[in-house]
Amino acid sequence: MSMESALQTFYAEAEELLHNMEAALLRLEDGEADSETMNEIFRAAHTIKGSAGLFGLHAIVGFTHVVENLLDRARAGTVIIDTHLQGVLLRCRDHMAALVADVANGRDSTPDLLQSGDLLLRELMAYLEAPRSDAVAADASETEQAAAAAAQDDANIPPGRADTWHLSLRLGPDVLRNGMDPLSFIRFLGTLGEITQLVTLDDHLPDLESYDAETLYLAFEIDLRTDAGRAEIEDVFTFVRDDSDIRILPPYTKVEEYIQLIHSLPEGNQRLGEILIQSGALTRDSLERALTTQAIINQQEQKPQLLGEILAVQQAIPNEVVSAALERQKKSPERKPAAEARTIRVDAEKLDHLINLIGELVISRQRVDLLAAQTGSGPLLEAVAALGGFTEHIRDAALTLRMVQIGDTFQRFRRIVRDTAHELGKSIDLEISGAETELDRSMVEKLTDPLTHIVRNALDHGIESVETRRERGKSDTGTLRLSAYHDAGNIVIEISDDGGGLNVEKIRAKAVANGLIDPNLELSSYDLHQLIFHPGLSTAEKVTDLSGRGVGMDVVKRNIEALQGGIDIESTPGEGTLFRIRLPLTLAIIDGFHVAARNTQFIIPQTTVLECMDLASLPAVKGRNCVNLRGEPIPFIRLSDIFALAPAAFAVQDVREKLVVVQFGNERAGIVVEHLYGEVQTVVKPLSPIFQALKGVGGSSLLGSGDIAFILDIPQLIELAILREARQAAQAGRKQEQPL
Amino acid sequence: MGKTIMIVDDSASLRQVVAIALKGAGYDVVEAQNGQDALSKLDGKKINLIISDVNMPVMDGISMVKEVKKLPAYKFTPIIMLTTEGADDKKKEGQAAGAKAWIVKPFQPEQMLKAVSMLIAP
Repeated sequence: MSMESALQTFYAEAEELLHNMEAALLRLEDGEADSETMNEIFRAAHTIKGSAGLFGLHAIVGFTHVVENLLDRARAGTVIIDTHLQGVLLRCRDHMAALVADVANGRDSTPDLLQSGDLLLRELMAYLEAPRSDAVAADASETEQAAAAAAQDDANIPPGRADTWHLSLRLGPDVLRNGMDPLSFIRFLGTLGEITQLVTLDDHLPDLESYDAETLYLAFEIDLRTDAGRAEIEDVFTFVRDDSDIRILPPYTKVEEYIQLIHSLPEGNQRLGEILIQSGALTRDSLERALTTQAIINQQEQKPQLLGEILAVQQAIPNEVVSAALERQKKSPERKPAAEARTIRVDAEKLDHLINLIGELVISRQRVDLLAAQTGSGPLLEAVAALGGFTEHIRDAALTLRMVQIGDTFQRFRRIVRDTAHELGKSIDLEISGAETELDRSMVEKLTDPLTHIVRNALDHGIESVETRRERGKSDTGTLRLSAYHDAGNIVIEISDDGGGLNVEKIRAKAVANGLIDPNLELSSYDLHQLIFHPGLSTAEKVTDLSGRGVGMDVVKRNIEALQGGIDIESTPGEGTLFRIRLPLTLAIIDGFHVAARNTQFIIPQTTVLECMDLASLPAVKGRNCVNLRGEPIPFIRLSDIFALAPAAFAVQDVREKLVVVQFGNERAGIVVEHLYGEVQTVVKPLSPIFQALKGVGGSSLLGSGDIAFILDIPQLIELAILREARQAAQAGRKQEQPL
Repeated sequence: MGKTIMIVDDSASLRQVVAIALKGAGYDVVEAQNGQDALSKLDGKKINLIISDVNMPVMDGISMVKEVKKLPAYKFTPIIMLTTEGADDKKKEGQAAGAKAWIVKPFQPEQMLKAVSMLIAP
């Protein structure tokens, strides 16, 4: 454990706290001003300040201090959090996040950031009744209060009459080293009045061998008869106060306080008691009475434990029973059952490493499978099969480690929805469902951007202004819905709004104007909807600073496809739009279908495979790369064609071509291969960056045999098949029109 | 035999730093993330000093001190509270509940070590 790892913990912790703080602030805005919410907001600031202070992160401490101060008052009810202050606090949260991020990334905060922090502080100050600035003021108030309390203590001293104060001096061990002589303090004390008693305590003097001449081991108990006040006496010790434990008891202090003093000082009770008796502060009688009462109370309170111990020693009852009983005694009635989730923080990299290793394990297992099958040994095959079962369990368990609930990602949109709605003057509710749906952590990160884009679009262009909504007979408040669910090995995320829906006429007009489609072409509304994913098509009449121009949905689509996913739109004019994103649960390991064409191995992701058949057995559509599958035309492509694979060096026999029907989203296509090998579990190894522009191939994988197989990018291949087929169909059509 | 200090705070990073400082000074350290966790970790263990935050989820520091003081084995275990500046009511409350000292957050590890050394030696 090092400071560096502690700092890492701090960053993660701060992020989490700030996240909670934001969620709580948004709840507050929804009218949930209960004390737990307030406390959560306060605690975030409080904890961050405390930890940041330990690391000496002054910028964070300084800023957070004021925020915390204000939140503390809000918690106490002396400051009311209105809508404006909510906004300010949210911005304060963002500022804190920015400060933490700067430290985490090892860069200095920009002057701009610091200035905006100052502005925020000024806004906060307006809410703090008396405008005061940061810690100095707070410290001052503390000192004031302490002084006031002390003054009250001393109030029962008749003024102007010399009386006896009791001082317990425990000067710091470094006092001598710092150039201060305890004797000089005592001498100076003598100038204030008369020292009536001085006892030097040498209890802490070490053995001669370990004695350090520069360390102060002595402590003093002093009685001072003076008419000076507490402040004057305290002033004597100004220079050593920070390093020392100095207690000053005014005259006429109650016996109990002396007793407390005795208990709180390290020397033995009896010894201090004697000194106080000698000084006349206590009578022997009152001291003994006080000490014995305490002892009796202690004894009574210790009784249950003593009894328990005695019983255990005598072996009268088994130890477990005693400890269980003691345990029960210790539990307070208000203790709630431990409902908290027990979690540990693990570095994400370690998890990735583990999953990588398990990937290798899966491959090795396949190799063992192959070798075992070659031996034909029954017991070996059985053992290998069992091993295979465990490998799969381990793989699944490891993958769930990296699974996170999508709820956190969804919650982040509360803020975006709130801010955007404010900015646009719209009223928008966010509804979330399926927050507990899990997906791979690495997917979550890559999903945030596309989701944000779609959400912003929905807020900006989808949901209408309040006036328009009224005209259309809708409620003033629009609704944005985020939901997630699992479906056949995929996670489906839907973003829907109850806005105006896509304007197909406008899309069409724009697409025609940009030369994307033929003006005479009849397109279904589904196809028209798809056009919004085309680069360079934006239908927003008004360009706002929220969603830019034309760049957007095409990027979203590409991002989703990079995650082996797909995106669909359903839109009804006047009723709203729904975006459906379909993603695999994880990218690390997939169940694949192993095929080959011309001696090159390929993997088709299992989730996309519908069925396989002999190509020759199907009625082909003449002159086209299309077959008729139970009445449905299925376009197909040959892997050997599109990847221009070299024919096998020698053809053993005429290979019958096989058709693998695959589906992605709503579209189907056939992939023609020469060999079908069956299902395999494969570990996806991403292609190196220079190959990433390759169409049709999503990654590579090592087979059990040691061969390399390419993982096919099915969405791209389907698109390609459909495109080629459409072109061919168009050509065929033209040929028919022109009689030769 | 080394002395053991329990640090109770909901901030893992604060616990880590405190633990580093205390271990460096020769103490053994037990960590707990809130009052309830602290109570369950006491459980007959030898704890010579408790350093506890006030504001924590599940069970706050003041309630914890009150509970600790009810436990015969830990009745005299000194407790240092970590408070915020200005929170005088909390200091008083903590004192009334039985805390021996307080340190105002944010603090430096050295400050804490000093406070600790006033109450116990390693």
